[in-house]
Amino acid sequence: MNETFAVLGLFDSADALMEAVPKVKARHLGRLEAYTPYPVHGLDRALEQRRSPLAGMVMVMGVLGALTALLFQYWISAVDYPIITGGKAPSSWQAFVPIMFEVMVLFATFTAGLGMLLLLNRLPTFGHPVLQAKAIRGITRDRFALAVEAEEGAGDGFAPVARAALEAAGARDIELLPAPARGPWLTAGFIQKSLAGIAVACLVSGLVMYGAVKLIPVLPPMSHMEDQPRLDPQAQSTFFKDGRGMRMPVAGTVARGFMPPGFASEDEAARLVNPLPRTPAVLAKGRAEYQIRCAVCHGALGNGIPTLSAAYGAKPANLQAPNFQAYSDGRIYGAIVLGKNAMPSYAADLPEDARWAVVHYVRALQRAQNAKDEDLK
Amino acid sequence: MNPEPTSFPAGLPEVLRAPALTVGKVTPGSVDDQVLRFPGQAPPFKWYVAVACTSAVAALGMALIGYTFYRGIGAWGNTSPVFWAFDIINFVFWVGIGHAGTLISAILFLLRKRWRNAIARFAEAMTIFAVMCAGIFPLIHVGRPWVAFWLLPYPNQRGLWTNFRSPLLWDVFAVSTYFSVSLMFWYLGLIPDLASLRDRTESRIRKPIYAILSLGWRGAANHWRHYEKAYILLAGLATGLVLSVHSVVSFDFATSIVPGWHMTIFPPYFVVGAVFAGFAMVLVVLIVVREAMDLHNLITDFHLEVMCKVILGMSCLMGYAYVIEGFTAWYSMNSFLHHVFMNYITGTYGWAGWLTITCNVLLPQLLWFRKCRRSYPWMLLVAAAVTVGMWFERFVIIVISLHQDYLPSAWRIYKPTLTDYGILLGSFGIFFTLVLLFARVLPVIATSEMKADLPGAQPRHGADHE
Repeated sequence: MNETFAVLGLFDSADALMEAVPKVKARHLGRLEAYTPYPVHGLDRALEQRRSPLAGMVMVMGVLGALTALLFQYWISAVDYPIITGGKAPSSWQAFVPIMFEVMVLFATFTAGLGMLLLLNRLPTFGHPVLQAKAIRGITRDRFALAVEAEEGAGDGFAPVARAALEAAGARDIELLPAPARGPWLTAGFIQKSLAGIAVACLVSGLVMYGAVKLIPVLPPMSHMEDQPRLDPQAQSTFFKDGRGMRMPVAGTVARGFMPPGFASEDEAARLVNPLPRTPAVLAKGRAEYQIRCAVCHGALGNGIPTLSAAYGAKPANLQAPNFQAYSDGRIYGAIVLGKNAMPSYAADLPEDARWAVVHYVRALQRAQNAKDEDLK
Repeated sequence: MNPEPTSFPAGLPEVLRAPALTVGKVTPGSVDDQVLRFPGQAPPFKWYVAVACTSAVAALGMALIGYTFYRGIGAWGNTSPVFWAFDIINFVFWVGIGHAGTLISAILFLLRKRWRNAIARFAEAMTIFAVMCAGIFPLIHVGRPWVAFWLLPYPNQRGLWTNFRSPLLWDVFAVSTYFSVSLMFWYLGLIPDLASLRDRTESRIRKPIYAILSLGWRGAANHWRHYEKAYILLAGLATGLVLSVHSVVSFDFATSIVPGWHMTIFPPYFVVGAVFAGFAMVLVVLIVVREAMDLHNLITDFHLEVMCKVILGMSCLMGYAYVIEGFTAWYSMNSFLHHVFMNYITGTYGWAGWLTITCNVLLPQLLWFRKCRRSYPWMLLVAAAVTVGMWFERFVIIVISLHQDYLPSAWRIYKPTLTDYGILLGSFGIFFTLVLLFARVLPVIATSEMKADLPGAQPRHGADHE
């Protein structure tokens, strides 16, 4: 036969239970425990239970949570990944306060909840004798139980004495609870050990992964073909004596469309003949280039009434003026290439055929603004 | 509507008596029989109809979320300069709904308002469901929800860390902490009730489930003392948390420089608005549950009336916040702020501003009348108006402020798409589906808390404790 775990009696009200507790306690039979459907005020004092240490635990863990969050954020923001955002210093602790608060509450909450259940109350406990008792249906409903727990080696005499003590105190439906034959495997201790094991495993694997990522250089998984064995522009190179990856072109190299003009003054240029035919395509190109490069100063009609250049104090040429009408194509071309007065050279902006197209367009503007009757035919 | 409640202690004149929180004869056993019978019963036909409707709406929302993933954020009306629209409005709205639950379960617990016991469980459950609905929106708003985990600071192969100076990251911490804490609070409260369910049921399927969920709770006095301590500590923590969460949500706006957002009044203004909207939602659901489950004797007219008073008080605070917003716009002499504020009431969306003021400030004034606080149609009218009004308040703050800010060339009118409306509707479907499931599966009233506060539940010589 199993050892006796406890003798348990039921009461119908909290008052009856509270009155019974000192009577049974006076018999000094063993540890007393009450089971109630809701917290009964004053019962902890009657049973001489100590104050719950939970508040202190929560306090410590809350402070620990806040400190953890502060150090975590500080280390990331100021040490490991110091990037200035919003013009704040990397260690701007004021910005860390909201997350410190949240982590503090999180740590404190889990300490209060899980600490109460797992550590202090040692729940879950599925094999407790009271759970097997007939009385449990009343305990979680509306009845109040008082149990006298047998001490080690209490012997066979304990049960009748305890039963008599409870009866004398007014208990009903008295039950004898046998000690469980074997301990249940799913206990709070087992769960605590498992959780601790998981936590340690997470910590260790996290640290190992972090160390591996930091210490062992690994290729990023997707570099999108950027990482290739070639010399990038502006990169260093040990291959060439000057240490530069970029090379000067061979002397005398000419870029396509940028043939050197072959003249040094407008007078020399005046001899040149426009090589482009006067087709709608060429005129359209000339118009486009003129409007991009020239119209800002010379005006959309070429009449020197500018859209923008007033700010520069320049006096752009009026291409409709008689002296410009008299210019040869080559002279206008020369002015584009060499620049004239305040106007800089446009050779770098306009390739050769674009310049000649612009010349055609300027001619078209001059003719359009000075149209004669026969032009209408 | 109901027989007059029996107040106690009976000897005192009526004004001095503690209000009766139950009607008729209520004993610990009768509370169990009344509340805990529902999880064991087959639900009535109308429950199936309700769940079918809400889950169909939820499925519509889910489908449109799927469509958003497929098409991209372009499926919504968000476009320059209104990059935050329905997604963020809905997020702020749902987080706010959750706040009433925490307020009822935590703050009113600390203030020892005993009437909270009957409605705390339901309000906490609604908190959890509302935060779940809220959580959807930032995730789908990021555009690529499959990499939303980048918001979490963990060592990664990208070599990047999150920006701890961004209020958007504070939000990640605040909302996830809020959810965890609410869940913990709710579950702790459920444990004794789950134990009661375990010991009541004869079902071979439900009994082991309740046994596992109740963790072998046996009501030992030794356990209760830790339990009560944990509960009051959690209430204290949740109180600080509930004030912080919507403050952090308001930082998303207040720390930016958008005119109309950059205001110091935002944190308290948001918290009050959250509690306001949440109470209205709790009131609506509570009325439905009270009628459907015949809980008139536990959730009395007094409970509803107190909730109406809270709504009225919050409504007055909202009115104050609106006035202060206008005052700030005027007194700051900031022409941009002035322009935005005038836009709230006279611009293209001026109707939304007036709708907000009508629903949140004017209509709740009806609750000054006892008749309105005691009549379902009036209460439901006000609660529905508050829900609509609080949604539109966030619309006013977010869309109106964004659609015209410093750069007039970037101004544009925002138009939501059908997808936007569908996802909003779907979130209501998800919320009410969860509420309906909860109502049938778990005890809707915290029975152990109810029992502990019934007249005569506590020993007489323990009375010095109170």
